[in-house]
Amino acid sequence: MKRRIELGLLFSRSGSYSLISEACRSGALAAIATINSDAALDITLVPVERDPAGNIDAYAPLCEEILRDTGARHVVGCVTSWSRKEVIPTVEKFGGTLWYAVPYEGFEASDHVVYTHACPNQHLLPLLDWVMPAQGRRAWLAGSNYIWGWEMNRLARERISAAGGEVLGERYLPIGSREVGRMIDELRYARPDFILNSLIGPSSYEFMAAYRALGQEDPAFRPDRCPVLSCNVTECELPALGLAAEGLVAAGPYFRGVPGWPGEGNFGSSHEAAAFSAVMELARLLDGRPGAENWPLSQLLTGERGRGIVDPETHHTALPVIIARVEGGAFRPLKRMEAVAGDPYLTRSRHALVAPTLKLVS
Amino acid sequence: MKRRPIRIPNLGGAQAIILHRPHATVQALSRQLTAIGLRVAQVWPELGPEAMAADYIFFDADMGHDAMFPWEPGQSPIPMIALIGSEAPGRIEWSLKAGAHAQLLKPVGDSGAYSALLIARDAFDAQKALSAEIADLRRRLEERQTVVRAVTLLAARGKSETEAYAQLRRMAMAWRISFEDAAARIVAAQGEADDRTRRR
Repeated sequence: MKRRIELGLLFSRSGSYSLISEACRSGALAAIATINSDAALDITLVPVERDPAGNIDAYAPLCEEILRDTGARHVVGCVTSWSRKEVIPTVEKFGGTLWYAVPYEGFEASDHVVYTHACPNQHLLPLLDWVMPAQGRRAWLAGSNYIWGWEMNRLARERISAAGGEVLGERYLPIGSREVGRMIDELRYARPDFILNSLIGPSSYEFMAAYRALGQEDPAFRPDRCPVLSCNVTECELPALGLAAEGLVAAGPYFRGVPGWPGEGNFGSSHEAAAFSAVMELARLLDGRPGAENWPLSQLLTGERGRGIVDPETHHTALPVIIARVEGGAFRPLKRMEAVAGDPYLTRSRHALVAPTLKLVS
Repeated sequence: MKRRPIRIPNLGGAQAIILHRPHATVQALSRQLTAIGLRVAQVWPELGPEAMAADYIFFDADMGHDAMFPWEPGQSPIPMIALIGSEAPGRIEWSLKAGAHAQLLKPVGDSGAYSALLIARDAFDAQKALSAEIADLRRRLEERQTVVRAVTLLAARGKSETEAYAQLRRMAMAWRISFEDAAARIVAAQGEADDRTRRR
């Protein structure tokens, strides 16, 4: 007799970042199907779904609904860091766990969250270290107006300055805004060596389309001369970007068809892969341990050092770093680095930021 | 006054000491600090020589007293963070006198340690920079009399006071020392000359 375990899914199926939610959701559902058809496991996962529909204020109440009204103690969900920060107090209050499968800006290691996608030492820093020798050190930074854009650009500025580079401009758009005209006008004058795009959803799609048009007008803005970099674009958003994605360079732990993702599987995107891994790891932690489905994360991970994918100290995972460029509608790898442990506070890895040594002239 | 830029400290491998009796708060705080990348030691009831190797001190504000630190109140050589349970004015007053640079409320839960570390580091650095600046200003204030004497000595050789002042500034620049030190050098040289005259 299999144990029937409810599992919360908290993804927005509409709204500005629904393509990412759908990718994560299908990864989670694929893992649930895999687990439920595995006769060797003593568990069956039953999804309990809630849809915040892209409304930031719906996340915490819906997460509470899952944890209060159903048997689920684990929730896979959230796309934006904003929504993740909204639900953390709720999972903490109910002793639940959030499995978060999206790249984020780091500087967090909640006792109630597992982070199965990349943080900056696994995306932004290797990407900047690749681009500056290749293209130059004059950067222009764009971002959506919330923690992801702000912190990514702060880190980028720190890294670029430390390398002797220069940030020529930094602009933000509210989530969902398509007002990219001013950014393009400023870029025309700034003429950077590369652009870091930490915009999300429609803002990013609009910006990429306008930037492609700019490149057709002036070759200084073609992808080979001044590429756009991203740490959040994966295959799941390529349909929305269309031709505007051509030449975009992204960093991520997985791109379709590239081997090296921890565990098996051929996924549509790293979002899908990270959500799949999250559910598979949860199943591994629950299998053969009756009652463990009600344990808090700290108890589940006790004695698991070196056994699963989750670092018991940081709750992050070790992931490969792949830098890939969109060519002909698909990501082609440019550089691949071996798996590196997630280092959310940038205190452990060789990527640790060192303050630039300034010569004091008085 | 323009705020000086924030320095994000590299916390990897930094040593934190929690001066608190064994308690769930110590566990929760240790978890956070370990996740951030610090090494953590718990100490109670007082801070011994291990304090010399520490980079940050978290101390219990509820049961705390001056004798638990190996330094004078407010003279800690590293940033200090108060762990406050009882928000009684007397306890907060004591924490401030003890030299808290930041605080964390008890019970400590899932977060708060990282911002406390950064705020404490910044407040500590700011305090140190201000103390150094004040000490320097105070020294220069005390040497005002020396400057007046030096200018008078230079003026005695037939210069106006403004010319003498400018000459002293040029000398300080040529000798690559402060204005006050240059003044002290001139006054001392004159003193020696007077001595020689007297001995003759």
